[in-house]
Amino acid sequence: MKLHVRPWRVVLTIGLILSIALSGIAYAALGDRLLGRGSKGPEVKELQTKLAQLGYGMGTADGKFGSKTEAAVRKFQKDHGLRVDGLAGANTIKELRRLTGQSTNASGKALGNKNIDTNLLARCVNAEARGEPYEGQLAVAAVIMNRIADPAFPKTVADIVYQPKAFSSVDDGQINLPPSAAALRAAREAVNGSDPSGGALFFFNPAKTKNKYIWSRPQIKKIGNHIFTK
Amino acid sequence: MHRKLWIGALVVALLVSLGWGINEYRLAGEYRLLAENNNHRALTDFASHLDQLETDMAKSDVVSSPTQKILYLSQISSKSDAALKDFAQIPADQAGLSYMGEFLTQSSDFAKTLTQRIAGGGTISAAEEKTLRDIHERLVPVNQKVQDIMARMDTENLAWTDPKPSLTQRLGFGGTQIAEAAADGSEAPAKSVRSGLDQLDASLQKLPPFSYTGEYATRVVQKPLGLPSGNVTQAQAQGVARDFLNKVGYTNTTPEFAGDSQGPLGGYMWKYKEANLEVSHQGGVVTYYRDQRSIEPKTMSLEEARSKAKKILQALGWQLVLTSSEDYGSYVQLDAVAEKDGVRIYPDKVRLMIALDNGQLIGLDATPYYAFHQTRTYPTKVTMNQAVQKLRPNFKVVESRLAVITKPGNQEVYCYEFRGRYQEEEYLLYLNALTGAEEKIQRIIMTPRGEYLQ
Repeated sequence: MKLHVRPWRVVLTIGLILSIALSGIAYAALGDRLLGRGSKGPEVKELQTKLAQLGYGMGTADGKFGSKTEAAVRKFQKDHGLRVDGLAGANTIKELRRLTGQSTNASGKALGNKNIDTNLLARCVNAEARGEPYEGQLAVAAVIMNRIADPAFPKTVADIVYQPKAFSSVDDGQINLPPSAAALRAAREAVNGSDPSGGALFFFNPAKTKNKYIWSRPQIKKIGNHIFTK
Repeated sequence: MHRKLWIGALVVALLVSLGWGINEYRLAGEYRLLAENNNHRALTDFASHLDQLETDMAKSDVVSSPTQKILYLSQISSKSDAALKDFAQIPADQAGLSYMGEFLTQSSDFAKTLTQRIAGGGTISAAEEKTLRDIHERLVPVNQKVQDIMARMDTENLAWTDPKPSLTQRLGFGGTQIAEAAADGSEAPAKSVRSGLDQLDASLQKLPPFSYTGEYATRVVQKPLGLPSGNVTQAQAQGVARDFLNKVGYTNTTPEFAGDSQGPLGGYMWKYKEANLEVSHQGGVVTYYRDQRSIEPKTMSLEEARSKAKKILQALGWQLVLTSSEDYGSYVQLDAVAEKDGVRIYPDKVRLMIALDNGQLIGLDATPYYAFHQTRTYPTKVTMNQAVQKLRPNFKVVESRLAVITKPGNQEVYCYEFRGRYQEEEYLLYLNALTGAEEKIQRIIMTPRGEYLQ
């Protein structure tokens, strides 16, 4: 019996095979293969987005694994106790996925990011204390938390950060820079109640500040280049 | 011919730059207007919330039924909060401690405290009624002053903040004209909205503080309760620091003096390699330690880190139980609290950080412990069984114990703690062990880094 192949069926089959193959490329998920210097594609972009979310930014997420992405991966690995090789393999991606995952309730229902204030707090820390030792960054975050607890200040992170003339980084726009991983960590720690500043409400750089008010405040301690005061 | 071409090119260039300039000017004007509108909105809202607050205070005084009293008191609270939020948006030259802010925070806080009490079946004392009336008394002139500032904005073209000294003044030719009315206490008419508000602030500062019990009742940090008595010398403190470093794994150290810190928990600050620590002036104990050394790839699990932490606590002479933990990647942060006769004492807290490469202690914060630790005696009137009866039906208790918890405003409450599930959610419920009243609810949320209580 002669096999009768209809032309439209051939076209359909080929089309189907092609579309499956192509979708395989287009939807290659993060973690399917080892990513390293020179890798390209949507999964690299996903990797970059997740790294940036945790403060390991590399400029724009362009889907190309270049030197900046490699540096970000190395830094992420270093901070998370992973082997530092600059390659996004199974372990690195697993950790990255875990840390960028949503918070859940006790029965596993996803609730989004439950500590949303930490981002603005981290931006402020990054803009005000970038280049300070980690403890100094944590102390700046703690100052904002201390203000929330003090009757003389407004009661939310945004109200305090954006209070007119409260932070010079708001006036010069540095507050809009993406926060670093260290700043995010400091913000999270301060929200959890850590405070190396000794209950400070203000801080200033003595080399750059002539403001009489701030110099009149009772000083608590100096951390890095900042003096923290009551 | 050439000349005409040149002139033509210059004219075109001039027109282009002129057009660009006009456009920029227009845009800048739009932004200025946008900012101006926002400022007006904040000030008007501020005045309006103060105005409503004043009437709500009058109404809360006259009502007699508890339900209406709760309504007006909670309105006092929310109007005060709203006014505080507006106030924080009005342009300023600098941010400082604000008595206006404190006044609004405390009126909100006090009203909230009373609302909760009445809702729980309690009553307001005569003294508290008087405090409410005092707040009302103070609010009236505040209102008038703010309205006066608003009126003067229209008639005198008042600026938002005091003008900066002009160039000639800065060079020393024109003399200083900047009003320092707020600073010298005189009541010269303010030159700007901000200096008007500063004058108001100064007048509020002169009034005695309210006395009440609440979250924001006081700004003063209490004297630390848990520090051992007697002051230590710098040399003694160095010995303490060296001994501590020895116990956490550094041998033959000479910690370097890095200055003093002031305040109730002030101490000698020390530095060794990348580690900082602080030994209190009073009592000579390590209140804070942080090692910023580089951490190698991790070799241990969270469980192993916990058992390391227990050993370190013992070595340092602490008798505490580990509670929550948070994963920071290369290290883990653990909270440890005191437990006495089966009562968990949450205020007496020490926070530790354990590096996951070798299990070394890389951070310790004992300031909460030394600030709050004290000998406590607590009478219970409610039994565990009675407390369980007070829980919501269908709340499945998983864990229960007696605990001392903190309430904001440096208050402590003796409670039954119930960890349990209700409708797919997990909670920590705290019932007052003396009165049986519900004190606090915390919802347990699982974040990628550990449990989080909200």
